Formats: sequence, structure tokens, C-alpha cells
Amino acid sequence: MTEGVIALGMFTATVIAYLIAVSIHRRFGKPFTVPVLIATIIMVAGLLIFHIPYDTYMEGGKWIDRLLGPAVVALAYPLYQHRNLLKELMVPILVGTSVGAAIGLASGILLAKWAGFDTVIIHSLAPKSVTTPVAMVLADSQGGIKPLAAVFVMIAGIGGAIFSTWINKIFHVHHYIGWGVGAGTASHAIGTARAMEVSGKAGSASTVAMSYSTVFVSIIFPLFIWLFA
Amino acid sequence: MNVVRIAVQILLLYGLYLVGDFIQRTLHLFIPGSVIGMVLLFILLVFGVVKVRWLEAGLQFMVRHLALFFIPATIGIMNYFDLFKGKGMLLIAIVLFSTVLVMGSSGLTSQWLVNRREKHASKRNNAVQREEKA
Repeated sequence: MTEGVIALGMFTATVIAYLIAVSIHRRFGKPFTVPVLIATIIMVAGLLIFHIPYDTYMEGGKWIDRLLGPAVVALAYPLYQHRNLLKELMVPILVGTSVGAAIGLASGILLAKWAGFDTVIIHSLAPKSVTTPVAMVLADSQGGIKPLAAVFVMIAGIGGAIFSTWINKIFHVHHYIGWGVGAGTASHAIGTARAMEVSGKAGSASTVAMSYSTVFVSIIFPLFIWLFA
Repeated sequence: MNVVRIAVQILLLYGLYLVGDFIQRTLHLFIPGSVIGMVLLFILLVFGVVKVRWLEAGLQFMVRHLALFFIPATIGIMNYFDLFKGKGMLLIAIVLFSTVLVMGSSGLTSQWLVNRREKHASKRNNAVQREEKA
């Protein structure tokens, strides 16, 4: 009974934290006010203050977590809406994504190795640019730690969403295709949510880039670990 | 009424996710079930097997509130604060720096290819116009 109440409480708290985060983001509209980051800060602070462990939180949180699968399925919708545009620009999107995905794997592995971290950590960090479930599977297949892989995925996602405006300014990326491809390749679904705010077209390009890079990274991951790690 | 419609449509999307998951496990693919489900739904929509209006309310809801569904996973970071003390801070810097490189290089490459194509297209158009004038 109490367990059910706690679970319902955690579920409700997450939705409320999300709604607060969305209204803050609507009000200020800054890149560092992305709803994922604000809501995560609110929730982590709350859990720490009330000494609630993550496992207890997940009793309620898992009901939202379970919708992650169908949420990814729903990304077919913007893809479908912009299908003609994407068909026309398939080559630039796929080439850009491939280049970025390869640079991401190589730079992540080499920098972590150069800084002297253990292979276990390097293998957990390397797949950071792809969506959480895939990154966890990939890290695990090479002897990395799954939950740690998820943390690096979150840093790449939130970091990319926060700094996207600034990164695109530095690299002189103005075209919505460049915007979307960059966000989807570097910051998976969190980047896609950010690109979706910029425009529907950028969001669609980001969705294609994210989906394609998931497949592409899965294939080249073992090779890059073998080459660089 | 609208809430019921959205809930039913989300359940249908969940079904597609389960189908994708089943395909992944049966064929031992690296690609996650959710991504397979997405490709599947896209194909069904393109070929008109599934009509957009059957799922539109649920799809719009999921896409608009995409960020909500990541929050339980991101909160998991609270179990790994210790790792990022001292030298571990460097890991955050590495991931962020690498993310900047990925976003910049992929964005720039695709933008360059699009602009090149648009320039070619406009050149071709100009040539046609010149011919017409001549």
C-alpha cells in the first residue's frame, strides 16, 4: 500500500517537475534552461534532500521510463511529415552523420586514453553520442559498465542541447539541415528535442541523423575500439 | 474524450515498440527495438497501411513531450556523483569537447553538401535562363 503511494508520488513529482521546467523554459528560453536539465536538477535535489534512493524513485519513475520506447517509435511522425524534404537531402544528411559519428568515437576514445583512464571507463564513454539503450548494449559488449555508459550519454545529450546555439555559431552552421544533423548525431534524442524547438525541419533532420547514427555507430564501434583503445 | 483517444493511441505505439523489440531479439540485431519500431511505423505510414489520423493525437503528444520520457533515466546520474570527483571531472570535459567536435563536424559537412547542391542548382537555372534570353 505505502509502496504504491510512494510510486504514485514519484510519478506525479516527475510530471510536476517536468511541467515546472517547461514553464521556466517558456519564460526564459535560454539554451541552459532546457526542460530535461531543469527537471533533472529539481528531482535530484528533491531526492537528495528527502534521502530517497534512486531505486525507490524508479518504483514510480519506471512508468514514465517505459514510455521511452513508444516515444522513440513516435519519432516516425516528424520523419513522415517531412519525408519529401528528407528524400531530397538524404545524401548530405547521411554523409554528415557518418563523418560526425566517426569523429565522435575516435576523439572520445583517444582523449580518455590520453588522460590515462582505465579501459573499462574508455569503453563506457566511447558510445556517448547514441541513444541510451544502444550505448548501454555497445559498452557492455566491449566490457564497459552499463549505468556509467548511460551517464556519459546524458552528459553528451544535455551538454549538446545546452551549447548547441553556441557551437553552431562557432562552426558557422546556419542551415537547418546542419543544425538538425549536428544535434541528432552528437546528442541523440535530447538534441532532437532541442532541434524540434528550433524548427520542425531541423527536428526531422535530427531524427534521421539520430536513427542513422545509431545503426552506423553500432556497426563501426567494435572496429574503433580495436583501432584506438 | 481526447485523453482516452491519446491513451489508446499511445498503447498502439507501445504495441509497435514491442513488435520492434521482438524483431530485435529474434534476429539478434544491434539496433534497439524502439528504433526498429520507428522504422516500421514510418514504412507503414509511407505505404498508407496505417493512416496518420489513426494515431495523430498520440503521436503529437509523444513528440511534444519527448523530454519528459528521459527524465527518469537522467536522474540516475545521482548514483555516480563520486566518480566525477577530482580527476573524474576530466571525463565530463572530454565528453563535452568530443560532443562539440561531433556537432560541429557533422553539421558543417551536411551544410556544405546542401549549399554546394543549391549552388549547382542555381547555376543550372541561370544557364537555362541565359539560353532562354539568347
